[in-house]
Amino acid sequence: MSTAILSAPFQAEFDANSQEFAFAGVIRPRSVDEIAHSISALRHAIEQARGVLYINVKRLAQMNNTAFHAFSRVVLDACRTRSDIRFVVVTSSVVGWTERMFRHLGKIEPQITVEVYDSKFYPGQSFVEDTSFIPILRTQTKMTWRHERTILPRHGMRAGIHMADICCGIGDFAVLVRKEFQPARIVALDHSKASLAYARDVAANFGISDIEYTYGDASEMLLEDNQFDLVTCRHSLQIFNQPDLLLKELYRICKPGGRVYITNEKNSHCLGEPRSQSIQWTYNEVAKLFGHFEMDVELGPKSRRYLADAGFNDIRVESFMVTNLDGDPQDFADVITAWENVYAGEMAVKRGDPPEFIERFRQGFRDHIFAALHPKGYAGWPIWAASGRKPL
Amino acid sequence: MNAAQRQPAEGKFEPLLQFEMEMGTFLSDWHHCDQLSTYMARMISHNRTDPVRHSNFFSSALNELLEVSFRGGSPEGRIGCALYRQGPRERVKLSFPCPPGQRQFFREAVARTRKNDAYARYLDAISTDLAPSREVILLDLAINFDAEIRLEEDEPPSITIIVDLPLEGIVS
Repeated sequence: MSTAILSAPFQAEFDANSQEFAFAGVIRPRSVDEIAHSISALRHAIEQARGVLYINVKRLAQMNNTAFHAFSRVVLDACRTRSDIRFVVVTSSVVGWTERMFRHLGKIEPQITVEVYDSKFYPGQSFVEDTSFIPILRTQTKMTWRHERTILPRHGMRAGIHMADICCGIGDFAVLVRKEFQPARIVALDHSKASLAYARDVAANFGISDIEYTYGDASEMLLEDNQFDLVTCRHSLQIFNQPDLLLKELYRICKPGGRVYITNEKNSHCLGEPRSQSIQWTYNEVAKLFGHFEMDVELGPKSRRYLADAGFNDIRVESFMVTNLDGDPQDFADVITAWENVYAGEMAVKRGDPPEFIERFRQGFRDHIFAALHPKGYAGWPIWAASGRKPL
Repeated sequence: MNAAQRQPAEGKFEPLLQFEMEMGTFLSDWHHCDQLSTYMARMISHNRTDPVRHSNFFSSALNELLEVSFRGGSPEGRIGCALYRQGPRERVKLSFPCPPGQRQFFREAVARTRKNDAYARYLDAISTDLAPSREVILLDLAINFDAEIRLEEDEPPSITIIVDLPLEGIVS
């Protein structure tokens, strides 16, 4: 058995600015001596901290009892000598055993609380995880797939590859890819349990058992490094407040020589005729509205920069326009109706926009629908598809 | 109530995967525990509802068991680990040679995982022990992984720890 992969690296680091001590990776020492340095670092962090010290175990994939007891002892001893300090252990709902294991510390010392990190940490997540959005997500995928099925081979899609679809939503893209391209393995990850349940149901109904749907946080995945020939992440960088962090994770799980494929919009470039001015005004406002919630739906053309900054080479970028002429114009209209309901009906309301603004905001969507269904009309939704190669 | 009376009704467990190796070889490198648990977990989790998370959870439990055998096993003889499945449960059957004095220890430690004071003992151990004992590791499996643990007394020097893990229900 090779020893090259034995010591899966782990990190135990203190960030004094945020008073956070973070563990990541696999920590399975034979004896406490092997982690003495990290134990000292934790002690030092406790000495430096004032008020609250956060202990972040969200990215802790594995920790054996030897390490758990050693680090717990440091924290418990500190509780007994430092009445002025509180500890908040931040676990992940993705890594189930951490939640189960660390919760006991709070039962031993009231100065320790254990919190589970979940979607509430993402500013815009609740809007896109609403299950009422599911039918419209299916329609969107149907519309974009007409274009992407011909685009994807230029970005590394081919038969027999190992691929991951990160932020897979309701999993329909993975199903289409499986049928069209026959990859050898598909892992599909999302942070919405409702979407994954739907995805699994659909897969079961179609007799598909070889797509590995998994619950996970795209910015901190359990998936191991350098695993996939192609990593896809569609329409998602634009709704994360830290797209660079997400790209870093996509880069990490991609094999050297493999590619990461992303799609994003530039919402202000949605267009339609007739009634173009009203449509343009509304989509400019859509971009500002998402910006208010720390999401950048103008990200599409920035894909090249993001990929380059993340360390990719051989970057390829192209754009396509989903239009009312692609298929049934009513599909296009249904998507816009759903956007109106969420953007004007929920997000603008949450931002506290006045009724007269919301009414004008809605009108642009209605005009977009009018353009889409008009016998001589044209309505478009532009999307940027980009990919980069992870250097060998 | 003794251990035998507390055992769940036996359903049919389907074999999934097993390994066997010389104990001396196993004991030659601590990282065998990590490598074997990671590999076996990944192999058997591929058709679980959430393969990635199931594998992570299962690897965590199996690694602890392998570490128990690493710390308590004797170098003569063979270690064998067989995995089975019945519905949402996986069964680990871990056999390894151990010194004669250890048999009674394992007998008592396994019995304690079913006692009413198991959780209090576990908290006390976290709170006061410098390092986890093998007894605490079995308690950890019972408390954090909802494991049911029992012992099969083979011909000396081997013992077999049988651990049923209902992880599919916990993960999904």
